Amino acid sequence: MVKIEENEKGYDPNILPDLLPVYYKRLFPHKPFYRWLSYGNSENGIFTHREISFTLADDVYIRYLSFDSQPELEKEICSRNPHKIDIGAVLSVRPKHHRATANIHALQRELVFDIDMTDYDEVRNCCEGANVCTKCWKFMTIACRVLDAALREDFGFEHILWVFSGRRGIHCWVCDKTARHLDNRGRGAVADYLNLLIHGGENSTTKASIGERLHHSVRRALKIVEPMFEEVCIVDQDMFGNSKGVTKLIQMLPDENLRKDFEAHLKNVGSTSKEVWEAFLRFCNAQRSKGNAVRRMKNIVEEVQLAFLYPRLDINVTKGLNHLLKAPFCVHPKTGKICVPFNPSAAAKFDPMSVPTITALLEEINAFDDKIRSEDAEEDKNRIKDYKKTGMFKGVVVFEEFLRKLESSFKGKAIEVSDSKMEF
Amino acid sequence: MDFIRKPRVKVEKTSAVVNLEQLYPHNVTLYRLPPTEDITLQEFEDLALERLKLLRIFEQAGSRNLRFLSDEWKEHITSEINREGLKGYARLFHNSGSVKESDLQARRRDTISHFILRVAYSRSQDLQRWFTAREMEMFRYKFSLLTASQVKEFLEINKLDYTPLTEEQKNEVKDGLYESTMGQSASKIELLDFYKVHFTEVLDLVKGRRCFLKNGFAYVNSSDFVSIIATKYQSELERGLQVAQRGLPESENDERLVSVLKGIHTSYTGKDYSIDKGESVPIECLDQLSIKSFPLCMRSCHEILRSKHHLKHFGRLQYTLFLKGIGVLLEDALRFFREEFTKTMDLERFEKGYAYNIRHSYGKEGSMVKYSPFSCMKIIMQAVGPQDTHGCPFKTLDPVALKSKLTSYGLSPMHVQEVATFATKGHYQLACDRYFEVIHDTKLDQGIQHPNQYFELSQAVMGSREQKGGTPANKNVRKVVKKEVNSTLLEGDDDELWNIAETQENEMTQKKAAETVKSEWDDDFDISQVESMEF
Repeated sequence: MVKIEENEKGYDPNILPDLLPVYYKRLFPHKPFYRWLSYGNSENGIFTHREISFTLADDVYIRYLSFDSQPELEKEICSRNPHKIDIGAVLSVRPKHHRATANIHALQRELVFDIDMTDYDEVRNCCEGANVCTKCWKFMTIACRVLDAALREDFGFEHILWVFSGRRGIHCWVCDKTARHLDNRGRGAVADYLNLLIHGGENSTTKASIGERLHHSVRRALKIVEPMFEEVCIVDQDMFGNSKGVTKLIQMLPDENLRKDFEAHLKNVGSTSKEVWEAFLRFCNAQRSKGNAVRRMKNIVEEVQLAFLYPRLDINVTKGLNHLLKAPFCVHPKTGKICVPFNPSAAAKFDPMSVPTITALLEEINAFDDKIRSEDAEEDKNRIKDYKKTGMFKGVVVFEEFLRKLESSFKGKAIEVSDSKMEF
Repeated sequence: MDFIRKPRVKVEKTSAVVNLEQLYPHNVTLYRLPPTEDITLQEFEDLALERLKLLRIFEQAGSRNLRFLSDEWKEHITSEINREGLKGYARLFHNSGSVKESDLQARRRDTISHFILRVAYSRSQDLQRWFTAREMEMFRYKFSLLTASQVKEFLEINKLDYTPLTEEQKNEVKDGLYESTMGQSASKIELLDFYKVHFTEVLDLVKGRRCFLKNGFAYVNSSDFVSIIATKYQSELERGLQVAQRGLPESENDERLVSVLKGIHTSYTGKDYSIDKGESVPIECLDQLSIKSFPLCMRSCHEILRSKHHLKHFGRLQYTLFLKGIGVLLEDALRFFREEFTKTMDLERFEKGYAYNIRHSYGKEGSMVKYSPFSCMKIIMQAVGPQDTHGCPFKTLDPVALKSKLTSYGLSPMHVQEVATFATKGHYQLACDRYFEVIHDTKLDQGIQHPNQYFELSQAVMGSREQKGGTPANKNVRKVVKKEVNSTLLEGDDDELWNIAETQENEMTQKKAAETVKSEWDDDFDISQVESMEF
């Protein structure tokens, strides 16, 4: 814990421009980064036609960059030291020539999801806005598990990269070929399939629309959400411990009469979150057995649980083929934290508070260098890759593992092709 | 291929009929082959207009919120087709089983007119979207009328090969099918044939979570089979439209066609709100105008901007384009947003992050596209996230919030109830119509389809009142607006309404301002969003 505080305190946004050159030179995983975006050069122009954008100092935003090769990309990153790198689509024309051609369009791009903690503000009491803590991070954990399962089991996607967005959210990059080649309509359909919640905009309650018969994807989400509901909503967030939360719960009931009845019913029970929630469960059961609004009350408890815990997607990000999204391993300019990939199956163990900041990382390499120097002056320090000396190591390992699987899918293809040739 | 297997037709077939049968073998077609025959200009125009009428009937049915392919919907379509006297299409949608020459003629007209409109509607993204949506409705309607053997025939003609799962294969995924096949009872699922296709072939089913999905494959039952074909048809049509668009300059080489092709376009949109009108609306009167002449969606944007000094991305886009449409000049719009935004951020941040965005909406930056103000349909269909401020309030607000909003605008409880009832039933545009009527104390003879249309109608109503039945003043917005601003005394009931609305309004704003508004507007700003929209 002491270390975490150091991280937070140690970073000062004003010195970011001084830190970035060292970070990009010594820590940024240039080669793996290229290996990802080149996809084994399995398709023409997949790397060279990719739009990359840089945000430089003072929010100078440069779009439509593109690079010929790994060394060129590395050179550019290291010489311009962008505060942020965004990844766009693979375009029909080399992005840097975009002014010369009128008919430029996006050919492919990973299917991406963006989940931001601010969308959870109405259901969290621990923090708000840009802040996160281990309590509300559980919302992200659930979101990650629900989405990851759906993407793998329902859509059959295998190459999914989850990345901490540096402050208060997570990004998901689905890199399977089918996903990359989905058009806007396909992305829209996948987004809508995964988006259960209906937000009423300002001042209204978010609801889950799941219908009478539960679709298998909804059922699976419930299997993840249900066991977490008490821990997260009742204990951690103390959701119904205040009148705002109780009103929210009342609003979930399908009609005016039920709402009034429940409100009256609440007068006779205690006011802790747990008591209110249990009263709600009893109330719903009683109403159902009385035969009141049976159809709309059938899944009411499930609806409430989902409304609080189901992933809140920014679906416009997912729907657009050409949307730019921050690249992994960027440094978040406000927090100084690295956007590290993490393993979705260990999402619960991922702790955003302990993600290293750029300051901490640079200190770590320095300390390491000193140690090596004092121990054995002869040792060539470049022999050990710098990121392996630091807290970023874990993130790079996750990334490498993702790449290994991704690349083996291309090799598999190659073998299949040659096998079939051998047969005939 | 054996198209001629109709023993009942005793009359000797003329060669023309045989020819037609070969060209148009089925009622449902994927329109893969463009017609090659010569037709007169008159026929060209007639065919185009006839189809346009038909497509508009489909559109109206949608905006009336009739459920697609429900009995009410079908009834509405049939009666409208008869009212418009579209005999050919009446035939096409009446599946009698036997095929007469008049049926073949109907098919011929169907095909030719489809291709004419395909060219005419390839002009812009918006038109393409509209046309595709309507054509898809028509396609699905026609397909829904087919008998099982006609479907089979259709598949053969179009060389589409689909085989259902065997019992064994079906058993393997039985549980998933029972759980996730929507719209079918368990006993029905037992009997139905299922097809396994890649999920990208049935996006509409995926979107609505209507079928079982596993490992990238969708399991589609035979009554949803149309989805597979429809998706296929849609992508062919979209490709076709792109081809047509590329060929547009050539099609327009022929001057005789230009007027028809372009004429269709304007006769659809009615009005193109993206065109500069040459008059300008000063931003000083936006507060006034927003009370009476702005539809609820824009009034909300305006109020939120005034009270929170910020609008999120899509809210900004929706509102800026609307302002552009009513005649607010770019410089004024910039000044307006700058004044508000800089109350919570420094000028530099506004200039860097947001000014570009506004200039972009006016078509002065980036791809220099002239964006049209959003129509009601677009606003209603837009996804709204938590804390977003765009969208159609009749849809996004829950009934309680909507009612209190309307009450705060000075509507009587009875009127509030009326409007809210439309909204809760999903008739958002009817709710908006009613809201207009109440606010203006008048009757609407046309439905609101566009926020800018709302504005103009409102201006027209007030203008004509002001001039006591003089010539409608909607042509001269600036003049009308100026009068409103300058004269504190408006006439008659107008005056009263203004006052009521205004005092209510002031109370509301004060109340809102009094609430300490937490301002976490730190949404990761992304200018690329704007451009990505039209890509």
